Amino acid sequence: MKFKANHLVLVLFFEVIALCLIVSFRFVNIETVIILLIFNFLFTSLIFQLDGTLNRKLGMLALGNIIGLFWNFIFHSFAVVGLAYFGEIFGAFYTIFYPFLNLMWIVSFWSLSLAALPNFQNMHAEAKP
Amino acid sequence: MIIEALEVSFVLLTALMIVYLIRHYVFTLTVLRSLKKTKKVTVASDAKYEPMVSILIPARDEEKVVGRLLQRMTELTYPKDKLQVIVIDDASSDSTGRIADEYSSRHSFIEVLHRDKRDGGKGKTSAMNAGFTRSKGEIILCFDADYYPQKTIVEKLTKEFVDPKVGAVQGRVVVLNEPQNIVTRLVALERIGGYRVDQEARDNLGLIVQFGGTVGGFKRNVLESLNGWDESILAEDTDLTFRVVLAGFKVRYVGDAECYEEAVDNWKAYRSQRYRWARGHMQCCFKHQLKVLKSKNLNMKEKIDGLLLLNVYFMPIIVLLSFVVGVPLILLESSKLITALWFSVPVSLYSFVGNFAPFFEVGIGAYLDGRTKTQLLIPLLIFTFFYNIPICTKAFLDLVSAKILRKDHNIWVKTPHSGNGNRYITN
Repeated sequence: MKFKANHLVLVLFFEVIALCLIVSFRFVNIETVIILLIFNFLFTSLIFQLDGTLNRKLGMLALGNIIGLFWNFIFHSFAVVGLAYFGEIFGAFYTIFYPFLNLMWIVSFWSLSLAALPNFQNMHAEAKP
Repeated sequence: MIIEALEVSFVLLTALMIVYLIRHYVFTLTVLRSLKKTKKVTVASDAKYEPMVSILIPARDEEKVVGRLLQRMTELTYPKDKLQVIVIDDASSDSTGRIADEYSSRHSFIEVLHRDKRDGGKGKTSAMNAGFTRSKGEIILCFDADYYPQKTIVEKLTKEFVDPKVGAVQGRVVVLNEPQNIVTRLVALERIGGYRVDQEARDNLGLIVQFGGTVGGFKRNVLESLNGWDESILAEDTDLTFRVVLAGFKVRYVGDAECYEEAVDNWKAYRSQRYRWARGHMQCCFKHQLKVLKSKNLNMKEKIDGLLLLNVYFMPIIVLLSFVVGVPLILLESSKLITALWFSVPVSLYSFVGNFAPFFEVGIGAYLDGRTKTQLLIPLLIFTFFYNIPICTKAFLDLVSAKILRKDHNIWVKTPHSGNGNRYITN
């Protein structure tokens, strides 16, 4: 029974990630999809190799996708309003700062995810001789 | 025409940044994969290999820290009859020499080489060469005065020299005064990226491990054949790394040979230290770049990584240039390719801090070290990178103007040590 429940949770997380990608493509923009894909690639290839259950890591990945989607949705809405109000120049500035704004959530979420994982088995002692 | 030229420049600059990002991604992946493999047991680690070892400790005005290092030297587990510790009191104006003399009078294996203001005070390389002339060991190890090594560090470092191809070794640097303030915490993160991942991966991949100038050493015959330290170079560590590998020897990284350093604890000292590193590293780049390309002792992957390593201090300048070139292109609504490549600029901002490790690499390194609190500071690393941009740009401009005016005189600005690390030593 527990085995099946675990699988259901995994499927749910996969669905959340897929949904985030579809929603970002449909309702935000293609750049958001690319950013989420880069985030997913780094997360799965690096953090998935660390200690911790697959459920926990996949859960964090799904959470990262949700945060990324909302973050981009908010800024995208802001850009649409800004573009209508200030004109083309706002769009250019938005393009310039857009990746910087995205890096803010990616880097912060990256460090928080690592902190949420169980301690590494063969970890080095804290910086004390 | 101008726009096309700007576009080509932007594509080239971002391509270079992406190459560095891929390099560090491969490094991170290599370290993670190596965790799953069992470590190979070499003959070197099993054999009883105890050659005569000379430890050089250059010290100028280090009265606040030199005592703890010398005390540690007396606690080393390596046989004292095979150990020679030489403190090079390099024209100190404080009581560094007196403290060293006190230890020397109580321990026969500790010697002090006093240099007056006429001979000394010319920088670390000059002091090292003076110490090297006095040394007798088959292996020469170096420790800066503000460092605090493990008791077993000599055994761990020397065992690698059983391999005749190994010319130099490098141990791991860990920040001692990490909890002191935000500067030391960020420096600690940089060190984690540089040593826990970069150096380890280079060693695993058979690339060029960088000798860091301290917590490492050389075979005497290798150092003699290279005529010791080059006093015209500020980054003597990088210079020696490349001279050793160009001569056909390997540099090995020994991750479990840890030594604790007192990191700079304020932004002014940080700037001064990084300026020296950047300028020295750029000097090495000009000196060794062509030799690396032409070398018959290096294979293709070593050449590629060697060139990337030599050029690493140009990266903050390249990121700045890509920003300067990219912004007008986006404002002029250039091609889609430019907009797509633009994403590499902010990623690079998080990628070339201190020891030039990207955020994902520093994060993994901090996790593997069990630094759960420190890794939460990773987002702040962007500030150290912003700080590195003017430092590296100034170092480059100063170096170029010095070369044009033929006034390339090195002024060694010593990093001051407050001794604050002493309070973090628990045994």
